[in-house]
Amino acid sequence: MTEKLWDHVPGFDFDEEIDLKEWPSWFLDVSHSVPPWTPLYAWFWLRGCSHGQKSAAAQLSQPAYKGTELRYKDGGSYIAIICIRDEEEIKQRTPKHREALRPYIEDFDGIWSKYREELVGLYENLKAINLDEATNYELIHHHWDLTAMYWRMWEIHFLVLVPAFSAWLLFEDLCKARFGISDKSPEFQKMMRGFDNKVYQVDRQLWELGRLASEMGLADNFLDKDPKSVVPMLEQSEPGREWLEKFQEFLNVEGWRMVRMNELVDPYWLEEPSVPISIIAGYLAKGGKFVLDEVSEKIVKEREEAIEAFMEKVPAEDKEWILALMRLAQKAGVINEEHDLYCELYSQALMRRGYLGIGRRLVKAGTIDRPEDVFFLNPEEIERVLMVPEIHDLRYITNRRRKEWEEWQTRPNPPLFTTRASMEEAVGMDLMPSRSPIMIKLGVGEMPEIRPELKADLYGVPCSSGVAEGPARIALCYEDLAKVQDGDILVVVTTNPAWTPVFGRIKGIVIDRGGTLCHPAVVARDFGIPGVINVFEGTTKIKDNQRIRVNGTEGTVYILDK
Amino acid sequence: MEQLIFWFEELGETHNDVVGKKCANLGEMVKMGLPVPPGFALSLDMYRIFIRETGAEEEMSRYIENLGELKGKGITLFDEIGETIRDIIQEKELPPKIKDEISAYYHELCEKVGIPDMAVSVRSAGTESRPGMFETYLNVCGIEDVLEKVKKVWASAYTARAVAFRINKGFPVLGDELGVAIPKMVNARASGIAFTVDPVTGDDSKIILEANWGLGEGVVSGAESVDGFLVDKENLEIGARHVGKKFKCVVYTENGADWADVSAEMRNTPCISDEEIIEISRVAKSAEKTLECPQDMEWAIDQDLSFPESIFWLQTRPVKVQVRKPQNPTDRILDELIQRVYEI
Repeated sequence: MTEKLWDHVPGFDFDEEIDLKEWPSWFLDVSHSVPPWTPLYAWFWLRGCSHGQKSAAAQLSQPAYKGTELRYKDGGSYIAIICIRDEEEIKQRTPKHREALRPYIEDFDGIWSKYREELVGLYENLKAINLDEATNYELIHHHWDLTAMYWRMWEIHFLVLVPAFSAWLLFEDLCKARFGISDKSPEFQKMMRGFDNKVYQVDRQLWELGRLASEMGLADNFLDKDPKSVVPMLEQSEPGREWLEKFQEFLNVEGWRMVRMNELVDPYWLEEPSVPISIIAGYLAKGGKFVLDEVSEKIVKEREEAIEAFMEKVPAEDKEWILALMRLAQKAGVINEEHDLYCELYSQALMRRGYLGIGRRLVKAGTIDRPEDVFFLNPEEIERVLMVPEIHDLRYITNRRRKEWEEWQTRPNPPLFTTRASMEEAVGMDLMPSRSPIMIKLGVGEMPEIRPELKADLYGVPCSSGVAEGPARIALCYEDLAKVQDGDILVVVTTNPAWTPVFGRIKGIVIDRGGTLCHPAVVARDFGIPGVINVFEGTTKIKDNQRIRVNGTEGTVYILDK
Repeated sequence: MEQLIFWFEELGETHNDVVGKKCANLGEMVKMGLPVPPGFALSLDMYRIFIRETGAEEEMSRYIENLGELKGKGITLFDEIGETIRDIIQEKELPPKIKDEISAYYHELCEKVGIPDMAVSVRSAGTESRPGMFETYLNVCGIEDVLEKVKKVWASAYTARAVAFRINKGFPVLGDELGVAIPKMVNARASGIAFTVDPVTGDDSKIILEANWGLGEGVVSGAESVDGFLVDKENLEIGARHVGKKFKCVVYTENGADWADVSAEMRNTPCISDEEIIEISRVAKSAEKTLECPQDMEWAIDQDLSFPESIFWLQTRPVKVQVRKPQNPTDRILDELIQRVYEI
């Protein structure tokens, strides 16, 4: 065995030889770590996310699951799901789990609102620092404050997600066993969609800002313009300045939101207002009502009808608790959207702000070339140099790692390292036994059922029912969304809340990786557009502009002009 | 000489092994002040004397010994064993002293009530509860018939089903010596049951009544649609009522009882009045309190008497299902989660 020194993420760099001995299957976290991550982001995610999962598993005494072990390889995050295989241990953990979930069933909203306040409080404290005037001492303390905030964020993240997802998993299981429907069935999906959430509310605020601009006669400043030119143009006129004031008010509250959910290299809204401006421009170009309001009336009506029809099948003595369970399960979709906003998107905007501040200090001292180079250092290295940066030159590290990182962007990471025979076997033996609702419904997802009789080009897991046909639009990153035309079928690896507005323009979606509760699945259902998930090869097999048909009821994709 | 026959009022729970459970229970009911039809009970010892003195005991033992190992044998053999032993018992003449003693009690009962050759039921009473396993004879009139039915009840310890049950459980084939309860038949206009707990959901806030025209057998067997009532245990208010389509009920026939058609106008009419429902519920509630556990009770309304003297209680026993408080939804969800997702 060759003993390697750790490099990018000390303690967490993947070593096939050692790590495969420790655990048989390591799944690439495609939902989060594609495209590949910078070392600084990976350092935080690998520690924070695995700590959050392990601590929630311990605190909630999850019966068959102790959290995840994460490793970093070529920018990808690999997940080992720590399943408990000893039945005796599972039995011992179960009663505690039962009691730990009780408060969530009784008052989920209360618990989430308490945690949300805690998080926003942490964030407010971090905003207080003036990074460019801070001493090196204050900067290093800010780094530690960010670190502590980030660990806590991950604890809360899983403490709210696990109970809500457990309710979904249970409700689905119950529906399967007693009524023959799963979360791939339209009847099930109809009952669970059409709830408002904070992400939609923010999008609606953007739409209203657009309407305001239009009422103030400013629409021309947005239409067919480079989004970056819009703010300078508006500054030229009195009504423009008036509108910008309102827009700034909005940004101060809602602008702490990363454009890309799981990285630090892209800006947040407050830093790059052209991003929300482009969303507003999109709404103005489309005209009409806020798109969700257009669809939601029908979807909410369908939902209530579906619930009524379902409840008729439920025996009288079971109605009360099954309805209570359904209400909790319905929160899984809502919390999945809202937690992205309050956990990852907000906290990481503050991280980006803080580390760019540190990066500027290091540039000033000549330690690195560009503030963004800080993303190619890990905190061990930052801590080594930050108090007296002027005597250090870390460019030998940042230049090398930047090059490596650029190279990783050009090729996909393997989806799995395993000693098992196949992906199916790895999922069956090293994921499903955990009964981890997060891993099953979000992180890795369920495996598609291949049905040769359907003669489809690609198979996936049905996640939003219906059939749609149109030109394929491959989008691997946020910038790619600029190409999207009304009526396209979007083909993605995954999406995050920053992408939500585009769902108002597309007719269907093909998603390479994730479970039925991940962002694109939830949003596709809320917008009532057909979707298929865990297609694995959508973005590689389908070409831009090719005509495709997505069947979100069967879980199939057909390429129509080959 | 030891006492082989007891009036119900002489009995209590300590007599379980003397006269069988059902008889001891009727004694308890009398002691609690429940109106029970008057009657008497034959002890297990009377049966033992009968089989010893008639030679039936020896004959049965010999027969069983000759059969050898029975475990794992088929149902046709159990049929044959049952029939043989039942014949051995039924062919024997009752010894005169047993005959005389039963006659004396029967005649005294008829005299007390004032009806000669009064109709009684002849009911099996084992020391263990084996619901529905042994025979009961209804509408038995006159001493000759009573004596005949007593032997038949004793012999019913050897129905094929009872034989199979004992063999499969590893009990001796010769077992289940039976006491016999002989109460006056209630000339029932309507009969039914009262549960002081919902045996399915465990809800103990209501009393559940089910009722049909005629004899209790028309309800207990659950074969026909019946009337159902839910009575609040706290304030004895009638909550839900369901008037069943009562197409059939059990009535007396010349020598026993049998199913009969219910007349069209009675079919959709409730077979008991609100007054009766409330009185039955009141008594059931008080019995549950005295006996300190939920009860499954049988009652009948005698058409020859007027309310409330018309209500008779035939049996009460603890409800078999475990009593569970109705669960709050949270507990139910947690239970389901543990069972379904974690299979524990």
